[in-house]
Amino acid sequence: MNTANISPTNRRQFLAGAGALGAAALMSGCVTSSSSGGSSSQSSGTVSVQSNLSSPQAKSAMENLVAAFNKRGGPKAKLNTVASETFRTQLPTYLTSANPPDLLTWYPGSVADTYAKKNLLLDVSDIWTTGELAGYSDAQKKLCTDSAGAKVFVPASYNWWGVFYKKSNFARWGVQEPTTWDEFMALCDTLKSKGVTPIGLGAGSGTAWVASAWFDYLNIRINGAQYHRDLLAGKHRFDDPEVHKVFDKWTEALPYFDPNGTALAFQDATTALLNNRTGMMLIGTFFADAAPKDQVGDLDFFRFPVIDPKVPLAEEGPTDGYFASAHTKHKDEVKQLMSWLATVEAQETYLKGSSGISIPVNPKAKDSGTPLVKKGRALIENAPDITQFFNRDSSDALQPTADTALTKFLAKPKEINSILTTWQRDAQKIWSQ
Amino acid sequence: MAVLTAAGRRTSRGGRKRATRVPPVVLAFVLVPLLAEGFWVFWPALQGFYLSLTKWDGISPPQFIGLGNYREMIHDTVFHTAILDTVLWLALFGGLSAVLGLGAALLLQQERRGVGFYRAALFLPVVFSLTATALVWQAMYQPDGLINKTLSGVGLGSLTHPWLADQDTALYAVIVPALWRQIGYVMVLYLAGLKGIDPALYEAAKVDGASKWQQLRHITLPQLRSVNAVVLSVIIIDSLRSFDVVWALTRGGPYHSSELLSTYMYSTAFQSLRLGYGSALAVVIFVLAFGVIASYLVRAFKEAD
Repeated sequence: MNTANISPTNRRQFLAGAGALGAAALMSGCVTSSSSGGSSSQSSGTVSVQSNLSSPQAKSAMENLVAAFNKRGGPKAKLNTVASETFRTQLPTYLTSANPPDLLTWYPGSVADTYAKKNLLLDVSDIWTTGELAGYSDAQKKLCTDSAGAKVFVPASYNWWGVFYKKSNFARWGVQEPTTWDEFMALCDTLKSKGVTPIGLGAGSGTAWVASAWFDYLNIRINGAQYHRDLLAGKHRFDDPEVHKVFDKWTEALPYFDPNGTALAFQDATTALLNNRTGMMLIGTFFADAAPKDQVGDLDFFRFPVIDPKVPLAEEGPTDGYFASAHTKHKDEVKQLMSWLATVEAQETYLKGSSGISIPVNPKAKDSGTPLVKKGRALIENAPDITQFFNRDSSDALQPTADTALTKFLAKPKEINSILTTWQRDAQKIWSQ
Repeated sequence: MAVLTAAGRRTSRGGRKRATRVPPVVLAFVLVPLLAEGFWVFWPALQGFYLSLTKWDGISPPQFIGLGNYREMIHDTVFHTAILDTVLWLALFGGLSAVLGLGAALLLQQERRGVGFYRAALFLPVVFSLTATALVWQAMYQPDGLINKTLSGVGLGSLTHPWLADQDTALYAVIVPALWRQIGYVMVLYLAGLKGIDPALYEAAKVDGASKWQQLRHITLPQLRSVNAVVLSVIIIDSLRSFDVVWALTRGGPYHSSELLSTYMYSTAFQSLRLGYGSALAVVIFVLAFGVIASYLVRAFKEAD
């Protein structure tokens, strides 16, 4: 480059530009500075929707949903789908950035409340008083309310957890669905005597969290749902005698678990179930997304067996939906979109595009109508209490402590005392954050 | 530097025209990248160091706790495991890839028919990303995967194992794909080094009646010293930043048995959202990497002089 060609003015502009660029980098790199809401308003009223629903069917269902909203006239929305794991680790960054996505998919309850407490979520209490949201059940209203009493979430669909099996297999083996723990143990015995591995798990290869379902269910059947939630909130200790009881019960079932349970991802474990290598599996309905269509009709489930009849029968029914960033520059448009997402039209549109196993939250929206979904809907709607799942009733940060403790228990059940002491110590670090 | 200072002084006194000895555009070419580097590299690094002195969940403002994170590290058993595993990784992955890479290079250095095919075959794994490599190996390590099936097939059924799910085998099972990929790379470095040795040295040795072993010990190995410095630096850097293959295969599990400092740093920071403690771990990794490499390189270059 010839220096003679650059006039002083040009140079100044160049350097000023470079300086501005550097300053912009400084601002964006400045992770420790607290972000302000930003007062500049964008001219376009397009609402950005950040979605973690990245599996093919769910992604295309979301695309249909946004297209349907854009067809209505009025404000427009734009979908940005992010791989689930990336979304999870980036969520705090999304919410604290100066220019956040307007609407995000995520979970209600304890998880949403964590962000609401830090004033990161938009208060949408007003849209809950009108339209179809006003007709939602009290349980849903409670689930979507933060600890300060504001509604910060709009639920869209839920799924349920149960012990899944193949109808044809149970018929072939001549066995029935158990309702109590003793019947369940007897069933396991029968299956084992027929050379079948009774219980599949799928807590290996990155899906260790699946084991938490066993902990959740045993705890809510033995100590009750409220104790479970309190435990996950740090109000009890993981080395309490109540928690020991959970593992005593689990130890009774351990001989019936697939020895490869901690080596297989849940997708491989469900394949083992569908290929008749295991008898049953405690899993959420989402696994059916990957099951061949002709097998889904053969699937059935039963409620996790009753252990103590005095304890009310809570079920795990994790809800999915949306919250909006408190820093959104399109408050009105976001609220319009959120109210619409709660309608029968929106929830049925989503369900038609997806695998159809989940259940719409809107009480008037039709589910896919298969016997399996009807049974699942009845299970959740008749349950006296609903829990979400380990990480949703506590936090994503606490989940790795459970993964470590539970996989260790499955491998070395005799070391339960030291496992629970370590778990409590690790959890304490998260709670004291 | 002296010119720069002198020019700068004159600029401040005398004005624009006399500064032409160092044209401002040249200064800009130095300063602008420095500015960019400063903002994008040094500033985040310094901030990482500052964060290591705080307690931070990624959302609330960081809370300054001084050396609290480092004090916690002293009593953190998982951190101890991660350090031990990292040292083991450095020794096994680093040592074996150097030895096997050198072995492969010695074996494949002579131009024979078909040698190109073997070189290409050994180098091929380098082409794949480690994550892709890990996924292929994950399928092989499955309870009913290729490795267990082969073992049962040849009558060694008693050796079948959930390789990645057993704390006794997980770390070693993860090292294998990392080695599989690294050997080809190290081999190429050594092949280049071997090509640079003067053939006259070997001829002279032959005339003196030196055996193959003596030629290796007294000619090949000493002549490869400069390549060794490169190989060792590469291996140490690769060992300390090994993350992808472990994360893809075991995520440091089962229960931290294959935890390296890098995976522990990632899971603490981004899974448990303890970004202060995670930053402290990152500082430890940096100090270790920098310390090991700097001390080695200083020694290597001193010897070279």
